[in-house]
Amino acid sequence: MIATNVRRLGVYLMLAFAIVSGSITWWQVVEAQNLSTRSDNPEVIAARRSLLRGTIFDAEGQVLATSALIDGLSRRTYTDPAMTHVIGYSSLRFGSTGLERTFEDILVGQTDPNPIRDLVSDVLARQPEPRDLTLTIDRRLQDFAAEQLGSDAGAVVALDPRTGAVLAMVSTPTFDATPISGDPDGAQEPMDALRNNPAEPLLARARQGLYVPGSIMKVFTAAAALDAGVIDPDTTFPDQPREESEGFVVDGFTIREHDLGGIEPDLWPLSEALQVSSNVFFAHVGLELGAEGFLDYARRFGFCDSIRIGSPERGLQVAPSLVSGSLDGDCGPFGGEVDLASASFGQGQVVVTPVQMALLAAAIAGDGVMLEPYVVRDVRAHAQGDVPTDEVLDTFGSGGGTRVVSAEAAAQTRAAMVDAVNGELGRRYAGQGDVTLYGISNERSAGKTGTAELGGEQAPHSWFIGFAPAQADATSRIAVAVLVESGGSGSDGAAPIAGRVMAEWLRLSGGE
Amino acid sequence: MIGSRSRIAWRGAEFRLLLPILLLVPFGFLITNVALSGAPEVGDLTLAVGYVALFAGAHLLLVAFGHRGDQLILPAVGAMGGIGMIMLNRLPQDLAGTSAFGLELGMAGTQLLWFGVGILAMLAIAVGLRDDGILRHYKYSWAAVGIALLAATLVFGYEVNGARLWIDLGPVSVQPGELLKIVLVIFIAGYLAETRTLLTSASVRIGFLSIPPLPYFLPMLALFGVVMLIVVRLNDLGTALLFFGIFLTMLFVATGRRSHVLIGLVLFVAGSFVAYRLFGHVQSRVDIWLDPFADPLGAGFQPVRALYALGRGGIFGEGLGQGLVTLGGNLTIPYVHTDFIFTAVAEELGLLGAFPLLGFAMVLVFRGLRIAALARDDFGALLAVGVTTSLGLQTLIIIGGNTKLIPLTGITLPFVSYGGSSVLASFIMIGLLLAVSHRSGTADRAPGS
Repeated sequence: MIATNVRRLGVYLMLAFAIVSGSITWWQVVEAQNLSTRSDNPEVIAARRSLLRGTIFDAEGQVLATSALIDGLSRRTYTDPAMTHVIGYSSLRFGSTGLERTFEDILVGQTDPNPIRDLVSDVLARQPEPRDLTLTIDRRLQDFAAEQLGSDAGAVVALDPRTGAVLAMVSTPTFDATPISGDPDGAQEPMDALRNNPAEPLLARARQGLYVPGSIMKVFTAAAALDAGVIDPDTTFPDQPREESEGFVVDGFTIREHDLGGIEPDLWPLSEALQVSSNVFFAHVGLELGAEGFLDYARRFGFCDSIRIGSPERGLQVAPSLVSGSLDGDCGPFGGEVDLASASFGQGQVVVTPVQMALLAAAIAGDGVMLEPYVVRDVRAHAQGDVPTDEVLDTFGSGGGTRVVSAEAAAQTRAAMVDAVNGELGRRYAGQGDVTLYGISNERSAGKTGTAELGGEQAPHSWFIGFAPAQADATSRIAVAVLVESGGSGSDGAAPIAGRVMAEWLRLSGGE
Repeated sequence: MIGSRSRIAWRGAEFRLLLPILLLVPFGFLITNVALSGAPEVGDLTLAVGYVALFAGAHLLLVAFGHRGDQLILPAVGAMGGIGMIMLNRLPQDLAGTSAFGLELGMAGTQLLWFGVGILAMLAIAVGLRDDGILRHYKYSWAAVGIALLAATLVFGYEVNGARLWIDLGPVSVQPGELLKIVLVIFIAGYLAETRTLLTSASVRIGFLSIPPLPYFLPMLALFGVVMLIVVRLNDLGTALLFFGIFLTMLFVATGRRSHVLIGLVLFVAGSFVAYRLFGHVQSRVDIWLDPFADPLGAGFQPVRALYALGRGGIFGEGLGQGLVTLGGNLTIPYVHTDFIFTAVAEELGLLGAFPLLGFAMVLVFRGLRIAALARDDFGALLAVGVTTSLGLQTLIIIGGNTKLIPLTGITLPFVSYGGSSVLASFIMIGLLLAVSHRSGTADRAPGS
């Protein structure tokens, strides 16, 4: 009977209407709150157009970003282009990036750092009050580092190994974010110019640039192998002197030594091998460590993971550094022994960010403990002028430390790194890359140069990681990673910059 | 009594239900006017008065002609249309409109004009269709008309949003697909009414599945296949889904075989999968559905903005005239007057407005099914099932699409979305329902029956 079938149809349709009602309820009741706070919500964007944003200060209270209401629209002014890749921009046209994005709700006052006050403001529907941020970055060091890079593309990342605070984080080329953040109608043209610029000024190289590390990776290999106990500072490889000239055959591939600059091959232990940067020695070390061990330590040091500078919610994102060519953000298996051997001296499939390498240096400087980095020190009540208020609403620090290698392994690596810039062979090998030439006379420094061979005619990327002071009984106050794109050898391009930056910081923070 | 000279039949239930609804429509206009102007003035209520006049007139004419059809349907339509008119009047009027016949009409004005045309068509069918022979006996002619409509769209049609659905007829553009829907329902109803006994009794059983006997089944299947092919060719996925749903539902009601529906669903899933693999636009629709937030400013723009609008509405709504329709001079949801009209209602009236809207659609659907169950003959029953299913599925598909329950397809919400062809087709379907209802004399306690 048709009538019976119609009744059954009615039941099915009733069910369908019930499901659709459920779907409406889901979005209008259950998800409504989540939707209303998303930053791409047009209402949120509209509301923020007219909200004053808090001031951003450097560690010494210098103004980096201020905001003013002009014709009802909130306009941002930035004082220092060297800071752009940290602070980002807040544009009425293009949204926001950097700290302007991750701290957006706090800067405009839509979220109070204190959850109870936040609730009270919500209930009373108070007009949001802007809040100010203080960074850990010292503008003097930031500007100094930017000057050192000059017109070269590259990055300088400086960390305080004792706290995890970012002291400087420069990416060049950079740009002035004020025109983008000002008049929304005038923002398109400067943005187009930036987007079409082949030098890619929009790329925050320190966090988002992935580069072959070259020999600075040997610091990682050494620390990992020492901690795993597969080598000690006196371990040598009997075939190594011969292989320095003849090549080291792994899996049918011949690993060749780079130009040793006239230094005669010898049976070298760790310190000497690091001083002359022997690829053959570290290929042996890597193979001793094994693929599993290598990948395990890589993960411990933060490779293959999306690191954040700051908390998981508000941190600046850092691209995952990769060691084995697996692009899905995981430390996937090596293609073969030769890949492992190459990764051990920083070639092969390894690509890293300057931030990751600064963290590596800071972990060695910090006795084997890697502190999570942070760049925002505190949130304060809004200052009317250009002097920060004393009313601190919230403070931040490192999210925590992880022991990545034992204090002993860190000390042994540190000693080898001191030799690499101060030792007999190291000085001869480093030439003008000897960082002691740049003003660090009373204190020892430690470091390692890197020359990332890119193949073909391309000039190699120049790297340096290091820290100071570095003598056995001293506490390091700065760890750096310096990258100069196509800057030649590590000792020519990056090492002098690193030397000057470390010296400048020791001078600036001299009283400590 | 059928087809006999009619006497006046007081439609008391219809009157009592229409009265509050028709009083609320001008009130909605008034609130919107006050909210939009910010001043405590009544504002322009011409359209509201016109709307009330249309439905009052329709009611009176049904009374005058002694129509004994269902009395809940017109109030339900009046309520849905009223919510739609209030929303369309509230949106920017330059979204659509006509300048025909020396008149400059904005979007709401144009919609009201189409409501007038639609109500006339509804009355003509409800009162004038004394014998359904013209529908039943000439089903193949209707099928031919349908195919011709489709072919015309394919040849003369022009594209809007990647789907070729429109034919330009001078002052107005029409969507033949909307009228094709009706023609298809009439054909399937006619065909199934004739062959349903054969289809049911002569099924071939394979295991637990019963396969319809092919000789009786093929003509319809072939026609349906042609229709589906052309519709898919026109890139109109929503219509394809709707047609398939109508077809399967009518088949189920005619034969009572769940297995037929099951086979149909399997075919549908297989067909959807093939379409997903073959056609880029299908794939992108599905991908946007799965994660609209992946590209909130590009492909996912409208779906994401629609979800935000639902969230803003919440339980109580932002209030009439208070929704975030434009942002910096641009519409927050570009197709707010057609595909996303439900979202606009849900934003301004909240869950407390969205549920009644859905409720009115349910009244329509369940009264339609009641008419089908009480119909005098199989053809009438199947016709009622067909048009009811069409109206119901349209509602479910578009609201499901708006709320990310299913992938979004461009289908109108009957009587609420802006669109002349849609309004006209929906009223024709109501006319058919009323005609079937009248013949079976289902009017509650209708005098003289």
